[in-house]
Amino acid sequence: MMNEETKPGMNADEFEKRLQRQPLRQAPCEWRSEILAAARDAQASCHPSPATRHGWLATFNRQLSILLWPHPKAWAGLAAVWVFVFAVNFSLRDTTPRLAEKSAPPSPEVMVELKKQQRMFAELVGSYETPDADRRKVFSPRPRSERVEIVTV
Amino acid sequence: MKMPGGRKIERLYDEHAQPLFAFLLNFTRDEADTRDLLQEIFVKLARTPGLLDGIREERAFLIRLAHNAAIDLMRRRGTRDKTKENFAAEILSPFAPASDPDEQTFREELAVALGELPEEQRAVVHLKLWVGQTFEEIAAALEIPPNTAASRYRYGLDKLRGRLRPLYEEMKKAE
Repeated sequence: MMNEETKPGMNADEFEKRLQRQPLRQAPCEWRSEILAAARDAQASCHPSPATRHGWLATFNRQLSILLWPHPKAWAGLAAVWVFVFAVNFSLRDTTPRLAEKSAPPSPEVMVELKKQQRMFAELVGSYETPDADRRKVFSPRPRSERVEIVTV
Repeated sequence: MKMPGGRKIERLYDEHAQPLFAFLLNFTRDEADTRDLLQEIFVKLARTPGLLDGIREERAFLIRLAHNAAIDLMRRRGTRDKTKENFAAEILSPFAPASDPDEQTFREELAVALGELPEEQRAVVHLKLWVGQTFEEIAAALEIPPNTAASRYRYGLDKLRGRLRPLYEEMKKAE
């Protein structure tokens, strides 16, 4: 099979050179300014210059001055009133330690209720000593000898 | 606009924008895409002033940036605009218009033949023929082995030769 480069009338070098000689299109001239402007904007947004930062501060100061300038004495008086109010509030503040109020003794009803709950809890737990009347009713299997003693007592 | 290392974005544009434009136009076959990509590259350079620090071959580095940006664009777009791309490949020429009708015909045919090449072959052919890079430089720019760059060039050139042979021989006879 014949190689493409060896075919007559189609020398590889000649063909390549002919291709190389073809001039390429030029980038539109207006792109330069547009692209460079976009690049400058991108750089400015990424790295704000000190002048830009000072500009922001200066603008803020100027706006503040414009806002306060018409009645500087009125603003100063208002500030003085606020300072006075804070001073009075601070001086009158109650600094004595607060004592815990003594609680009143519980009423008899409450005491009865508490006793009842205590008894109920003890019954549930099993350690509460029942009154004598109740104790006789409790069945407890014991040896015969001890049972006799209880009866005699 | 001063950049670290004494570089100026204007100087970079004036020195490298034209070859980048031609490469991107031949690769994307779309003028709007070419403009977007070119702007993307210079915006990136402006945002990261240290990007070219320590780079000896600015042109090769910028072509690498351009190629990566173009590949990213193609991936983002996917097959959505495949029809548009194919249509554009047939009509958009990366070559300057010629006054001689035969030469103009040859350029048009060459543009169409280039458009028919796979993107990876087209990129290598363009860098070899119209940027004048060596296979080592092309390999570094496109992040492929030099042998791959050489074989892609050979395949691409063979396809162009096959496609343009009748016209080329006719023009040779006329000369």
